[in-house]
Amino acid sequence: MISRHVYKIICGLFAVMMLSSCSDNRQYETAICALADISGTYAKEKESMVNIIKAGIIPKMVPGDSLFFITIDSSSYDEENLKGKLTLDYRPSQANQQRVAFAELLDEFSSGSTSSKYTDISGAMMLCSGYLKSTMAGTQVMFIFSDMKEELKPGIKRSFSKDEFENMDIAAMNVIKLNEDNTDPQVFRSRIKKWEKRIMKHSGKSWNATLSPTDISDYIDQIR
Amino acid sequence: MSNLYIWPDMPFLSITVLVVGSMVFLYLARVPMHSALKSLDEGIAGGLTKASSWIKGVVETMREKNKKVLLESSIADCEQKIAQEFRRVEAGYTKHLADYPALHLKLDESIAVIDSDFKECGQVVPEAPGWNDAVQSIASIKGVASGDRVIEKMLKELHKSAVEGEKMALAEMRKTANQRHKILSSLAPTWNKILKSMGEVQKKVALVLETSGKIEKYMSEYESVRHGGEESIDMLSSKATKLFVFALLVIVIAGFGAFINFNLIALPMSELVPAGTRVLGMQVSDISALVIVMLEVVLGIFMMEALGITNIFPQISGMTMGKRRLLLYASLIGLFFLASVEAALAVLREHIAATNAATTQALAGKTATTASGENSNITVIGQATLGFVLPWILAMVAVPLEMLIESSQHVLNKILILIIIMVGHFIGMLGHIMKTVMNIVVHIYDAYIIVPTKIGEMFIKKT
Repeated sequence: MISRHVYKIICGLFAVMMLSSCSDNRQYETAICALADISGTYAKEKESMVNIIKAGIIPKMVPGDSLFFITIDSSSYDEENLKGKLTLDYRPSQANQQRVAFAELLDEFSSGSTSSKYTDISGAMMLCSGYLKSTMAGTQVMFIFSDMKEELKPGIKRSFSKDEFENMDIAAMNVIKLNEDNTDPQVFRSRIKKWEKRIMKHSGKSWNATLSPTDISDYIDQIR
Repeated sequence: MSNLYIWPDMPFLSITVLVVGSMVFLYLARVPMHSALKSLDEGIAGGLTKASSWIKGVVETMREKNKKVLLESSIADCEQKIAQEFRRVEAGYTKHLADYPALHLKLDESIAVIDSDFKECGQVVPEAPGWNDAVQSIASIKGVASGDRVIEKMLKELHKSAVEGEKMALAEMRKTANQRHKILSSLAPTWNKILKSMGEVQKKVALVLETSGKIEKYMSEYESVRHGGEESIDMLSSKATKLFVFALLVIVIAGFGAFINFNLIALPMSELVPAGTRVLGMQVSDISALVIVMLEVVLGIFMMEALGITNIFPQISGMTMGKRRLLLYASLIGLFFLASVEAALAVLREHIAATNAATTQALAGKTATTASGENSNITVIGQATLGFVLPWILAMVAVPLEMLIESSQHVLNKILILIIIMVGHFIGMLGHIMKTVMNIVVHIYDAYIIVPTKIGEMFIKKT
């Protein structure tokens, strides 16, 4: 009689264990957000940006991963700035088709001539942060393709919340130096330092501004 | 330390007072302190010694139990082998005895043929025509010696007839001899048939003799195991250890095979079972691939059981031949199905890998460099063959698995006993060290209070 009860308890515990061990894939997935600056001098970097995303980021994505492509313009905190969104299917064949389709979308963007006067990097980062959080992915990464010089349109206010970049790895990619940076490198360095402080202050997991396009693959492997 | 000074500005005096005070206190408290130290010694060292001896007892019990298990499992193994041989004998007898009437009939028929042929071959000497009696009668007639012409003529005629008769008889004899030779030559195939049948009989008898030899060997092994002497225990133990090591080696190799098999089908399974759910951190598609690999092993176990090579499930070994054959066919069909699925998945894997590579190259802006058709086919054929062959190899794992399970009981017990012995020795050593440490503490204690002790002794002597 006792053994029957013990048997039932063991079966119950096993069932509970099996049920609790079932989890969805989200914690194993990676959500990536690529912010593309289309303002001022950086607008001519569109092609190289697209090439880096196509050759460095998309091939590293595995089924279940997401990619958001957002532009940085005069007022970036706008849904219209989300130029493309990709969540890879779990079937490898479908995932490949999606990759190709997204690459075509990026090519289309690259061939366009859109540009903006001001540079609202913070707004784009806030928009991106919202999208990344919505995925609830285990790894959340933000790649910023910009010279990292923010110029906000008069009247626009941007302030991050305390947990704005919680659990997010942020990397500035293809950061080109401006003329003033060439005159005084300290200007560039202090600008990058300022961004690091700002991001880490708002719960950023890591900050990297020294990534070269060839390092993206290793960087994604490292943060996963 | 300075906090303990009675007079902080006079450390030497403070320390001296503290030392002298402690000496006096420890001298006065020496009896209860000695008792306390003794109790501590008995408590720790004695406890450890008891634990050590308890462990020794446990080890002895475990050894006995292990020996018993080893003997019993060996007896069961011998019994199973003998039973298997008897079953083989029974099957052989049933089959061969069923064949025997036919063989007997064949032999009878052949012998009857030989008999009738032999009878036909019987040599009958053709008799000469009965002229001899006539000649004798004529010769006894009176006047023969006088040269009667009639009689002479008669005799000549008789001679002529006799010669003709002899010729005819000779011809007849030659004819019958020729026929006999023909019959005799036709006997050769019958003899060959009999020889062949006898050869078959000899083979079957040799088989029976071999089986009975095996039974005899198993019986003597069984006797020695039943006797349970130290030698047989050592022999069984070494046999079990050897079996365990080899079985483990084979299982490890099979594990690598299973790993390759799993990797071969894991990627294409994600195409068939796309799901965003994980169990114990594993993707459902990976689990599906793992299940396929495990199913192959399970089917292999059933196949080996049905063939009578392994004896993991007594219910299967107790089945009738018909049911076992059914199980064997079911396992074979299942394995063939899984092997075919794996071969197909391996082809799909190659296709997915090629598409992935082409997409990556296209995204990188490079021209897709595809392998030449021939090379591509070789890879596909290689993967498909691997996918088809690996399940059959994995199915064989049932044999070493059974060996490993059987021998692991004894070997793991041996390892456990070894560990417990080591723990026992360690505890014994710890007890000994503790006893020595306690003795040293007592001696140091006595040395520390030597001055008040000596003064005390002098005082006692005086009084």
